[in-house]
Amino acid sequence: MSIPHSLRTSITPTELELVASQQLVEIVPLISMERTAFISGAYGPLRPPNKAKVPLWMAFNLKLKKKCHIVAPDWLNVEYLQGKLSLETTKPEFSSLPFRFAEISKVLLDVASDDLENPDRLRSLLKDLREARQAKSRDGLKTLDHSELSLPNLCSMEINEIRPFFVQSMSLMSQLMPIATVGSLGDS
Amino acid sequence: MEFDYFSIDAILAENQKLQCNFNREILGMGHLGGGSERDIVMGSKIQLPYWLANTILLSTWADINIPAPFGARVRNALLADARSVRLSGLVGAGGLWYGFGKSIMDMVLDEQANELSKMLRVTFRDRLVEIIDQAQHFAALGPAGGSGSTGDTAQAFREGLDASEREIFALAQESAKRTKRWYEDSDKPRR
Repeated sequence: MSIPHSLRTSITPTELELVASQQLVEIVPLISMERTAFISGAYGPLRPPNKAKVPLWMAFNLKLKKKCHIVAPDWLNVEYLQGKLSLETTKPEFSSLPFRFAEISKVLLDVASDDLENPDRLRSLLKDLREARQAKSRDGLKTLDHSELSLPNLCSMEINEIRPFFVQSMSLMSQLMPIATVGSLGDS
Repeated sequence: MEFDYFSIDAILAENQKLQCNFNREILGMGHLGGGSERDIVMGSKIQLPYWLANTILLSTWADINIPAPFGARVRNALLADARSVRLSGLVGAGGLWYGFGKSIMDMVLDEQANELSKMLRVTFRDRLVEIIDQAQHFAALGPAGGSGSTGDTAQAFREGLDASEREIFALAQESAKRTKRWYEDSDKPRR
């Protein structure tokens, strides 16, 4: 109970970013290093100019020390995101994107924008995607009921944003159910 | 809002008065009605707090009327436009309209309970989208803004929020604010 209320309802975006930092990305190292054991596993060896797969946290640490180039994941380019955006704006359902795309793309754009093609365009595309998807999760509210809600392809950051009040609303709605019918679906 | 034993909200919601119609004479209990009579006579109508009314109802000495905040007038207003009804003003100071409704729902018979439950849920769902919209709007404004620009209907709606809706409003605002802050600051220098 000593945790602030905001931390009790869900985890913070920064914590999600930390979780996403465990995912592997490809880098082109500029230094060589033997295979090294870390708490989360062994990575390497780094042999320039061969590509290597390392976790995101390691990639951006190396990047900040200018010891590698990060290879953009195959979904982080203008063409792919443009395609997703047009799907997003024409179809009623969420388009499928990597579950942690928001976190990864933000970290990469923050530290490695010089390794990406056309970072400004990417930023604006990601923002548009976010807004289009937000509008859809708002529509999802209208179909909320006490027992379930289905919004497939929602990504981790979006889930985290809507979690506190969706949970609270659903709990209120289930309390408002007549006692005899709590738990049975499909009545109204 | 939860309705367990220790919930302050539940206690407040139970502090509402209900009109009980007594169908038998009860000796020596006239003070419950606040008057000077010694006994409760048959057919008298007395306002009793929920926690007491509940017990009396179970003993079938009296029956209750559905109180005005859930009566036909409010029901019709909600059907017309749920968002324009000021729920906070309907019940006492705490404004626990849903909580009070829930308490009554537990007391009355199946058919009435179902109807009441449906009214509460439909109302809540109709208002929810507007609550979240406004919460996100205020989260986007930042600390400085937040007055004047949104117009009278929006303001009236916010003032009419029931206590549990307020809670949801605050949650949504906080969460939207936090996510927005994360998206916006580039914490490159920190690393």
